[in-house]
Amino acid sequence: MCREDGSSEVQLGQTHIMGFVTGQLVQPYRDRPNEGTLSIFTEFSPMADPSFETGRPSESAVELGRIVDRGLRESRAVDTESLCVLAGKLVWAIRIDLHILDNGGNLVDAANIAALASLLTFRRPECSLGGEDDLEVIVHPPEEREPLPLIIHHLPIAVTFGFFSSESLLVIDPTHHEEAVMVGKMTATLNANGDVCAIQKPGGEGVLQSVIMQCLRLASRMASDITKKIKDALLLIESRQLGSEMVETYNTERALRKIKRHPTSITLDGSVNLKEKLNEPSGHNVVNELSRKHLEKPRLASAENASSPGNNGEGESKSSNFGRSSRRDGATSNFVGGAASWDPYSRGVDSDFLKASLASRGTLTPKKKQQDPTGERKPNESKPEESPGDVIPTTSAMDVSETGVHKGGEKTLKDAVKPKHKRKKKAFSSTADAS
Amino acid sequence: MEVDRADGRNPNQLRPLACSCSILHRAHGSASWSQGDTKVLAAVYGPKAGTKKNENPEKASIEVIWKPRTGQIGKPEKEYEIILKRTLQSICILTINPNTTTSVIIQVVHDDGALLPCAINAACAALVDAGIPMKHLAVAICCCSAESGYCILDPTKLEEQKMKGFAYLVFPNSILSVLPEGSSLVQGEPMEHGIITSVTHGAMSVDDYFHCLERGRAASAKLSDFLRRSLQSKLPGDLSKAE
Repeated sequence: MCREDGSSEVQLGQTHIMGFVTGQLVQPYRDRPNEGTLSIFTEFSPMADPSFETGRPSESAVELGRIVDRGLRESRAVDTESLCVLAGKLVWAIRIDLHILDNGGNLVDAANIAALASLLTFRRPECSLGGEDDLEVIVHPPEEREPLPLIIHHLPIAVTFGFFSSESLLVIDPTHHEEAVMVGKMTATLNANGDVCAIQKPGGEGVLQSVIMQCLRLASRMASDITKKIKDALLLIESRQLGSEMVETYNTERALRKIKRHPTSITLDGSVNLKEKLNEPSGHNVVNELSRKHLEKPRLASAENASSPGNNGEGESKSSNFGRSSRRDGATSNFVGGAASWDPYSRGVDSDFLKASLASRGTLTPKKKQQDPTGERKPNESKPEESPGDVIPTTSAMDVSETGVHKGGEKTLKDAVKPKHKRKKKAFSSTADAS
Repeated sequence: MEVDRADGRNPNQLRPLACSCSILHRAHGSASWSQGDTKVLAAVYGPKAGTKKNENPEKASIEVIWKPRTGQIGKPEKEYEIILKRTLQSICILTINPNTTTSVIIQVVHDDGALLPCAINAACAALVDAGIPMKHLAVAICCCSAESGYCILDPTKLEEQKMKGFAYLVFPNSILSVLPEGSSLVQGEPMEHGIITSVTHGAMSVDDYFHCLERGRAASAKLSDFLRRSLQSKLPGDLSKAE
C-alpha cells in the first residue's frame, strides 16, 4: 500500500501550499505530435484568505498560474519529449494542482517550489508497446514495473521582491502585510545555473535599472540556495528509504549515503519511490520524517536511531551553508555579492523559511521514533497509536525567526519550538533523552 | 467470524487517528484529521455578516466548500457539501448569531476510504478551534457490510470497493458532565445513541444495517474520547482548572 508520489507540501513562513501531480494518457496537440503536455491548475482555496472566493479564478490567481507555468514550460525545465508514448497518438499529459491553503504572502515563490517538488517526486507508470503491430500501449501498474520519474533538466526558482515608495526600500519574499502596502513588485525566475528563465514586473512604481540588476543578482543567489535545499530534501528522503537497509554505524551510513547519492543526485532520476514524508525547516535543518507503513517497525527504529545522528551531522553541515540565508537580524551579511551602496535588507529576509515536505497521508510513526535522542522532532501531527490522544498544533514557521543562530542540533529545535509546544512534546515523548 | 483484513486489523478496529488544530494562520479555526492514510484538512471562517439568498436570515447559516485533491468539482463533491452542511447545521446552535454565514472549507489531502466521516470529524474539530457555538460535537464513522453479513469498521479504499454496502454514520459526541446526573436521556435512551446522519451506499439488509449501527455506536465512544482528549489538550490552563 504505497503512497502516491507526486505530492508536496511547502511552508514559506505562514504561507502554506500543497502541490499534487497526476498524469494521464491523452492525444497530443496536432502541432506537437511527439510532445507531452504540462498544465498547471491553481486553486485559491477560500481557506487561505477570507477574500478568496470559489468560482472564477481572480486576476492574481491567473497571474500566479501564468508565472509558474512560464517558468516551467518556456524554460523547458520539464522534458516534454520524453513524455511521448506513441507519436501522434498517445502522450502523457501532466497536470499540476496547486492548492493554496494559507496565504501568508508571496504565493508565487511558494507555489513554484511546490510545483517543482511535486514534479520531482512524481513517478509515472512505465508503458511499453505491445500487441500485434507493436501499436498497443500497455501501461504497467506500479506493482509490475517500477514507475519512472520525469526528466527535469533544471529547477526554475521564482524569487519575488516588493518595492516601497521610499526609493531604497526593497524586501525579498514579502508577507501579506507587506504586500498590502507595497507599491510595486517583481518576480524573477532563475535557475541554479544562473539562467534567467522569466521576469515579471506587472506595473507598479518605476524602479531604477541598477535596482533591477541588484535584484537579479540577489535572486540568483537565492535560487541556488533554494535549489540546494530542494535537492537535499529529496535526497534525504531517498537515503532514508535506503537507510533502513543500511548498517547502523553512523560513519558507514554517511559514506553509504554519499555513494548512493551519486547516481541519484546529479540526474535526480533515481528509481527509488519516495514514500516518506519529510519536513525540513531550512533554518534548522531538522528532518522530521514520518515513516512509512510498509517499512518494518523494528528495522525502521534502528535505522531511525542510526540515521538521526546522520541527520544531525548533515544538518550541521547544511546549517553552516544556510546559516547566512536564515539570519533574520543584520541580514546584510547574507548576500555578499551585492552592491553595498544601499541596504535592501533593512527588513531582513522576512519569511524565507522553506519547509519542503512531501504531503503525508497518515502518520504512522512507530512509538520508538519519539525517543529520538536528539529530540529534534518537530511534530506536525500527533503520533498515532491505537487511540492517540495528542494534538500538536503544527508550529508556525515564524518560530524559526526567533533563533537566528545555529547551535547544536538539539538546541536549534528547542529554540524553534514554541514553549507550549515544548510542553506537549515532553508530554508524549516522555522517554526522550534530550527533550 | 474471523475475517482477514489487508492491514491486519480485526473487524472492530479503527485505523490510527491523528488530529491537529490551529494549523493555518489566516483561517479562524482549522484542523487536520487523519484516519490511517485518509487525511482531510478543514478550515473555518467565523461568522460573516449576511446570509445567502435562499437561507433563513433568522438563523445563522453554514456554508460548506469541498475541495477535492485533483480535478474539477463535480456532483460527488456537491453531495458531500450538502451532507456536511446538514450535519453541521444540526450540531451548531444556529440561533446565537442570526443573519450570519460561517464558512467551512474542506480540503482532501488524501483519500484512502472513509473520506466523508474523516471530513466530518475534521470539520467538528475546526469549528471548535474557531469557537463557533455548538450543542455538542459529532463523531463520524464508516461501517461496511460484506456478503456474508459481517460488518467491519473504518474500511480502506480497497475494502470499500469490495464490500456489498457501506454506511457513513454520525453520532453525537458523548457528554461528560460535571453534574451528577450524567448524560442526558432522551426518551429513555442516552443521547449519544441517537444518529445525526446516516448515508448508505450499496445494498444491505435491514439486519445488517442495525448490526452496523451497533458497531458504529460502540466505536463512536472511542472516537469521542479521542476527540475530547485532542481538543482538551489545547485548552488554556485556567479553563481546565475551572472544571
